[in-house]
Amino acid sequence: MTSTFVKDVGGDDGEGSAGNGLLCFTNCLLAMENGSLVEKDLWIDTSKGIIVDSQKTFFQLRERPSRIIDLGGAILSPGFLDIQINGAYGFDFSIYTGNDEEYVSGLTRIANRIVETGVTSLVPTIITQEQSLYPKLLSLLRPRKTKGGANLLGWHAEGPFLQLAKRGAHEPTLIRSAPKEIESFAETYGPELSATPPVVNGKEDVYVKIITAAPEIPGILSSIPALTRPLLSSSSSTSSASSTSSSEKKEYGVTFSIGHSIASSDIAAEAVKSGARLITHLFNAMPQLHHRDPSIIGLLGVSPAFNSSPSALTKIKTSTSGSMTPRGTGLKEGKKSGIEVVKKKLSIASGTPGVVSEAISELPTPPGSPLLNPRTTAPSRAASISNIDLVEGPVFGDAKSGSWGGEEEGWRPYYGLIVDGIHSHPNSVRLAYMAHKDGCVLITDAMAFMDPHLPDGVYPWRDGKNLVRRGYKLFIEGSDTLAGSAVSMDSCIQNFARFTGCGLGEAIKCATYNPARCLRIENKKGTLRPGADADLTVIDPVGGDVLSVWVDGREVWSRE
Amino acid sequence: MRLIIRDDPASVGTYIGDYIAKRINDFKPTPERPFVLGLPTGSSPIPTYKHLIGLHKAGKISFENVVTFNMDEYVGLPQDHSESYHTFMFREFFSHIDIPPKNVHILNGNAVDLIGECKAYEQAIKDAGGIELFLGGIGEDGHIAFNEPGSSLTSRTRIKTLAYDTIQANARFFGNDISKVPRMALTVGVQTVMDSREVVVVVTGLRKALALSKAIEEGVNHLWTLSALQLHPWALIVADEDATNELHVKTVKYFKSIERVQEEVERNHEEVRRNSEGRQGNTW
Repeated sequence: MTSTFVKDVGGDDGEGSAGNGLLCFTNCLLAMENGSLVEKDLWIDTSKGIIVDSQKTFFQLRERPSRIIDLGGAILSPGFLDIQINGAYGFDFSIYTGNDEEYVSGLTRIANRIVETGVTSLVPTIITQEQSLYPKLLSLLRPRKTKGGANLLGWHAEGPFLQLAKRGAHEPTLIRSAPKEIESFAETYGPELSATPPVVNGKEDVYVKIITAAPEIPGILSSIPALTRPLLSSSSSTSSASSTSSSEKKEYGVTFSIGHSIASSDIAAEAVKSGARLITHLFNAMPQLHHRDPSIIGLLGVSPAFNSSPSALTKIKTSTSGSMTPRGTGLKEGKKSGIEVVKKKLSIASGTPGVVSEAISELPTPPGSPLLNPRTTAPSRAASISNIDLVEGPVFGDAKSGSWGGEEEGWRPYYGLIVDGIHSHPNSVRLAYMAHKDGCVLITDAMAFMDPHLPDGVYPWRDGKNLVRRGYKLFIEGSDTLAGSAVSMDSCIQNFARFTGCGLGEAIKCATYNPARCLRIENKKGTLRPGADADLTVIDPVGGDVLSVWVDGREVWSRE
Repeated sequence: MRLIIRDDPASVGTYIGDYIAKRINDFKPTPERPFVLGLPTGSSPIPTYKHLIGLHKAGKISFENVVTFNMDEYVGLPQDHSESYHTFMFREFFSHIDIPPKNVHILNGNAVDLIGECKAYEQAIKDAGGIELFLGGIGEDGHIAFNEPGSSLTSRTRIKTLAYDTIQANARFFGNDISKVPRMALTVGVQTVMDSREVVVVVTGLRKALALSKAIEEGVNHLWTLSALQLHPWALIVADEDATNELHVKTVKYFKSIERVQEEVERNHEEVRRNSEGRQGNTW
């Protein structure tokens, strides 16, 4: 079933270099952008490393592939993307020992080995760092192509602008606010924040910058429009002498992700309207879903009434702002006790910094959260409207307006899901997916212990503690405390298909096209459309196992 | 003319596919002497294409030395439009077989000089040595290629305005919006088809039944352009049972009875041909 054979048509020898460099995958199911699996051939240009339009190649270039690979009925998918991964194969992106070479060799090792899990592009994620380390780390994480390995697309900075109450494993003393708004961001991350994408063959390549931050922290919400303003291509930015205002504005092209946050429904919605596109590891490090104020998770259900009618918003605002709640006492009591709990927990938490998985063993959030009064943290309504004005596009609340931040009204953000069966219960995974299918982005959030070849057992960890690895569960020896994820992306996809009952095609979409769209790189990654990079993963249609992996039109791994 | 009747469209496709494969293999085409094949679009020939693809995948036929000419193409429709005949041919046939792209000819409905395009097409057919076998389908109004009722039976490749019936029938491919259906097409003429050494026409489905009856049971008539086939020395129509609904019982019975005889004739013909080739060889 999964046997493949290669046929060279008209080539001089059996090598792939023979013939015209075109390659046809046949007898396969293509994983399409809409989640379907379609029996169709795929043509790629191995010399350029891209997928080609087969019909145009045939009729206009008068060429057909000199090499044909029969995939024996397997699924041919765009290579998987992992946009949140802390490390793997013994290397942790967040640990810099002062040696650039060592760090780069760690990056290369992961890139070279992770292809066995079907991942062809990843966004290395770093947790909250000493401020002085950011410029160095981010410059080391500039986009990087490795020979025979996955593409490193940029960086995902998780922190330091996080909510202390939801800090997870992040070092509390390093967590900060942004009193100078966008300037605070520039100060913290350094020059890489405004760096432009590398130019490859005269064309701008992908440079992914993701920042996970808590929008309720002072200075964050008002910085989102500026942070997320897309980078103009170099040609158009130099010629934009006509609009003086836009040349004054700095462009960062950041994908803003809401996470480690207790944002109220209002603030979460404002963040999205300001340009936030993503929610970091949904369900983890955020308030649980409360029906009266569904907070960040509620973004998956965005109601038209909540979105378009300012009066509906105002009503909810008054009800969440505290003192005058006419709707019974339940909410009020919940809020009160919630605040107390957090105060208590904060003092405990600061004593035991960062031992456990940041996503799962966080402070318990009682029903009735979010806990902060939006008035004290969110900018005023008027201020937020003026912020939104910075985004080229209609203003929130204008009934006639079609969009903010380039998306139509009622648009819902993407959300990352760790589908290891531990960080989110299968029911929760299915619930989220049923609520908002197109927003679902599978992430591993994997730690350095992610390595399918690592046998189960006890491994030394930091601070003299040992870690137990069992399957892709990691926990601290002598406890039940989970210490992060060790799940691989191919397992996430298989789990996801099982948990939700969706087909493999839909599960694949959540690891390819959805993350690519979230990052606005769906013209190059996460798709099989012509012109996209020939990063491909061949999958067994029955079990979902990865059979072979291609990057830039070259086979970099195959199951043997 | 011969009429072969099969149970359903799939068996019609199998019959014609086997037939064409045999003709190509018997021809023993070479790069210098390719087999020149005329091809149609539409739903009727799809089972034939499917069967030919299957034969190719099974290694029973190669299109390496086959040159094709398509019957027609819409005017003004982008080549990569989902309903263009370029797209159809690539999707349903060419992408699955080993035909070299340079051997494929389809009229360019976006040419600046449409008349010049048609003239060049006729010339290209001539340069290729004429068409060995033209596979065709018919419309409900009996048109072959886009030679709508009233077309001259001596017509050549040209611009043609589509009949209202055809536009309406094709609307289903354009979101049922009649205004989106192209009004014009480039098409080979009736005479272009008649000039080929053999014509094979696939006729399937109830809706083609009247056209089939008009084409073979009545006189040669430019309102049913397929009827011109009556004057062709080597024509074959393959129909399914449904398409014979308007034929006289007598007609159906007659053609069914001669099928076996016809096979015998063919075998004899083949033998004679081989013998004559052998004799030619001896004289050298």
